[in-house]
Amino acid sequence: MWTRSKGKKEKDTHAYGGLAPNGIYGTIDQDLHTNIEKVRDITGNSADIIIRRFLLGKDDNFPAALCFVSGMVDEHIVQQLLLEISVQLSLPSSSCGLDYIEQKIATTNTARRIQQWHDIFSSLMSGEVILFIDGMLEAIGVSVKGGEYRAITEPSTQLSIRGPREGFTESLATNVAMVRRRIQNPHVWVEAITLGEVTQTNVRIMYIKGIANDKIVEEVRSRLRRICIDGVLESGYIEQLIEDESFTTFPTVYHTERPDSVAANLLEGRIAIFVEGTPFVLIVPTVFIQFFQAVEDYYARFDIATALRFLRMLVFFISLVAPSVYIALTTFHQEMIPTSLVIAIAAQREAVPFPAFIEALLMEVTFEILREAGVRLPRAVGQAVSIVGALVIGQAAVEAGFVSSAMVIVVSITAIASFATPSFAIAISARLIRFALMVLAALFGFYGILIGVILMTIHLCSLRSFGVPYMAPLAPLILENIGDTFIRFPLWGLKERPHLIMNTDTVRQKDGQRPKPPQRAEKEGDSN
Amino acid sequence: MERACISARQLFMLAILFEHGSAMVIPLGVDAKQDVWLAILCGMVLGGGLLFIYYRLFTYYPRLPLTSYSQRIVGSFFGKVLGLIYVLYFLYIAARVLRDFGELLLTFAYPETPLFILNTVMMLTVMYAVYKGIEVIARASQLFFFSLYWILILGFVLIIIAGAVDLRRLQPILEEGWEPIFHVVFTQTLYVPFGEMIVFTMIFPYLQKQEKVMKAGFLALFLSGINLAIIMAMNIAVLGADTVSRSTFPLLNTIQEIRVANFLERLDVLFMIALIVGGFFKVGVFFYAGVIGAADLFQIKEYQRLVYPLGISVLLLSIAIASNFAEHIKEGLQIVTIYMHIPLQIVIPFLLLLVAVLRQQKTDKENKGR
Repeated sequence: MWTRSKGKKEKDTHAYGGLAPNGIYGTIDQDLHTNIEKVRDITGNSADIIIRRFLLGKDDNFPAALCFVSGMVDEHIVQQLLLEISVQLSLPSSSCGLDYIEQKIATTNTARRIQQWHDIFSSLMSGEVILFIDGMLEAIGVSVKGGEYRAITEPSTQLSIRGPREGFTESLATNVAMVRRRIQNPHVWVEAITLGEVTQTNVRIMYIKGIANDKIVEEVRSRLRRICIDGVLESGYIEQLIEDESFTTFPTVYHTERPDSVAANLLEGRIAIFVEGTPFVLIVPTVFIQFFQAVEDYYARFDIATALRFLRMLVFFISLVAPSVYIALTTFHQEMIPTSLVIAIAAQREAVPFPAFIEALLMEVTFEILREAGVRLPRAVGQAVSIVGALVIGQAAVEAGFVSSAMVIVVSITAIASFATPSFAIAISARLIRFALMVLAALFGFYGILIGVILMTIHLCSLRSFGVPYMAPLAPLILENIGDTFIRFPLWGLKERPHLIMNTDTVRQKDGQRPKPPQRAEKEGDSN
Repeated sequence: MERACISARQLFMLAILFEHGSAMVIPLGVDAKQDVWLAILCGMVLGGGLLFIYYRLFTYYPRLPLTSYSQRIVGSFFGKVLGLIYVLYFLYIAARVLRDFGELLLTFAYPETPLFILNTVMMLTVMYAVYKGIEVIARASQLFFFSLYWILILGFVLIIIAGAVDLRRLQPILEEGWEPIFHVVFTQTLYVPFGEMIVFTMIFPYLQKQEKVMKAGFLALFLSGINLAIIMAMNIAVLGADTVSRSTFPLLNTIQEIRVANFLERLDVLFMIALIVGGFFKVGVFFYAGVIGAADLFQIKEYQRLVYPLGISVLLLSIAIASNFAEHIKEGLQIVTIYMHIPLQIVIPFLLLLVAVLRQQKTDKENKGR
């Protein structure tokens, strides 16, 4: 028992190879040369670590060195900094004390004194400039973070006709600022956490203090802290490590590329998780209905938004069951199809050598292949794929006698429906479930489909996202929030925020927000 | 007992789905001819009396299911025996409903599929739901409640548009007086589906706000009674009492009468949805009660362990219960009613309540004496 636990402990410490910067112990040396050697040694003399040596002081009697990672700092500022230091320190009145230097630098940049090697390396790697001076027991870290990022562009996955055009970028600071610009309130709190033992990725938790439930915030914090993994390259890593249930096709963490969507969710009491290096921001807790709420629903008027919501639900449902219903009808329940139609379908299917299930499977798989090819292919070849695709899923397939034209229509409708589902995350889970339902339909007809739907419903009802039931506010039914589900009430009717496990403050607007024409004064006549 | 809690609204919807369950699709109380709706309503009123007994028992022991408070009332040994009888009763009825369901499906849509396969698929679904617990079943019931109601309303509107309704078929009312109606009430409609509310004695303790049991339970009972009466009256108004009494699935025949605009016809799938969803919840609730009761009796902390063994037993029982459908129906109407429904739905709960009341009075006196 003792040996076993010891062995386990040892394994734990070596799980990520001891590559974390906090594994580098010790403080810096007085001797500049030793320090530079240490930097060179630890970084393996990497080509992008730039070390510039120079002399400081009136009489050039202080050898010093600047150390930074090329590409991660703003090199113009580094030049300026260098110039400034040497000019300032060569003035007759100057002294070469660390305090003095720090103050001088601090007039233009954020500077701090560092002693520990692990601090030095984490600052260096995050894009700070480190100034070593010979004979000093401390170095100075100057924040001149810079470098190239993709500019803010329109989000490519969540487009909207009306609404802001900007989407998140790969820069964490820009992303956080984009949201803060939308909610200019000191109660928007941002917490920093570093994840990934090797990658040391910066992560930010953002929420509105007072609206977000403290318990859920604490839960998010503790789940993030629990993550102990070598690298976090995208928010998907975090999503998979903090979600409540892994064995489900349904996403229990929402992700978005739109700052307005994050702002809206923060206002609803949710918590956003930003990850350095990705434009996708995670939002928790998530409920099923969120995947049908496009940001535009709230910008458009309620009747249109409601109609679109219905359409999306319908579309999701079609993308889920269309092929399986076709299979069930043609295999088991011909009597349910109107006579003329059943004759037409039978005539088409006469020449088809496969049972309906194989036919549907063939077409669906072909379509999935085409879609996957379309996503991964280089743009230049894309057109070729679409031409070939149109031939495969189309007239040529019918003429060759592989499939019936009714099947082609069904597959096309399914495909369009799955593209029309507003969230890719939910469309992809529908894609998987569709195949399961097809198998059930081939085995048991409508009975199979219904059993599949019941199983899916039970599964959905059993899911939770950070403690919030996934199907809320439909099941459990929360009447106050029902206005933002299948239908969207007029904005003045959405009085309460989603009730996500005891929010402290759920009222979001005053009564009487319904717009009215001004009351006409009694004496005022029409003549005016 | 599982650690769970459900809201009064969930209980209400679960009870509605449970009551509609198979009662909606089978020829319920058709011996009363065109007065079947009266028989259902009478059954509902008397069923309300039974529910009141269960409710009173619940108020004495609001934190305990039937299998536990029976031990408090009549002592540990007899209480356990009673609890065991009830557990077996629930599981048996679950198997019966499953058989009903499988047979209906078999004759209606899948004449060539083995009964065992149909039942297995259903039972696996039920087992999955029960494994997930009462909260999940209750939440799912909310989603299905609305879908079922939409389907009922849709069917109702369509049948009226189709012009198939002839209210004269409901006349004459009380052709042979009250006697045949009460005969039907006391042999059929009182027990199925209204007396079956006994199974909710196992679910009441999960309620978040205990004072709402009364409202939710009775509302569900009355609403489902009225709905069932409307459905059966509709069947008769469309098909006529004679056809209904000879039909295996009056509701299916009624739905098949829907022909609107040469397009909306053969809506058998609506019937199928009602049948499968209803069957699922009925089997599910009975099976859950059985499993939870067994876990409670035998002090098993994780009731989930019992789901698979008991589920398979119920599945096999549903096949072994009768050699054919006619035998199954006959058993249901004659044996089960007399030897199971009457004692377990009426007599024992009543006696339990009597003893509970007497005990309460005794302790009250003792308290006063001090």
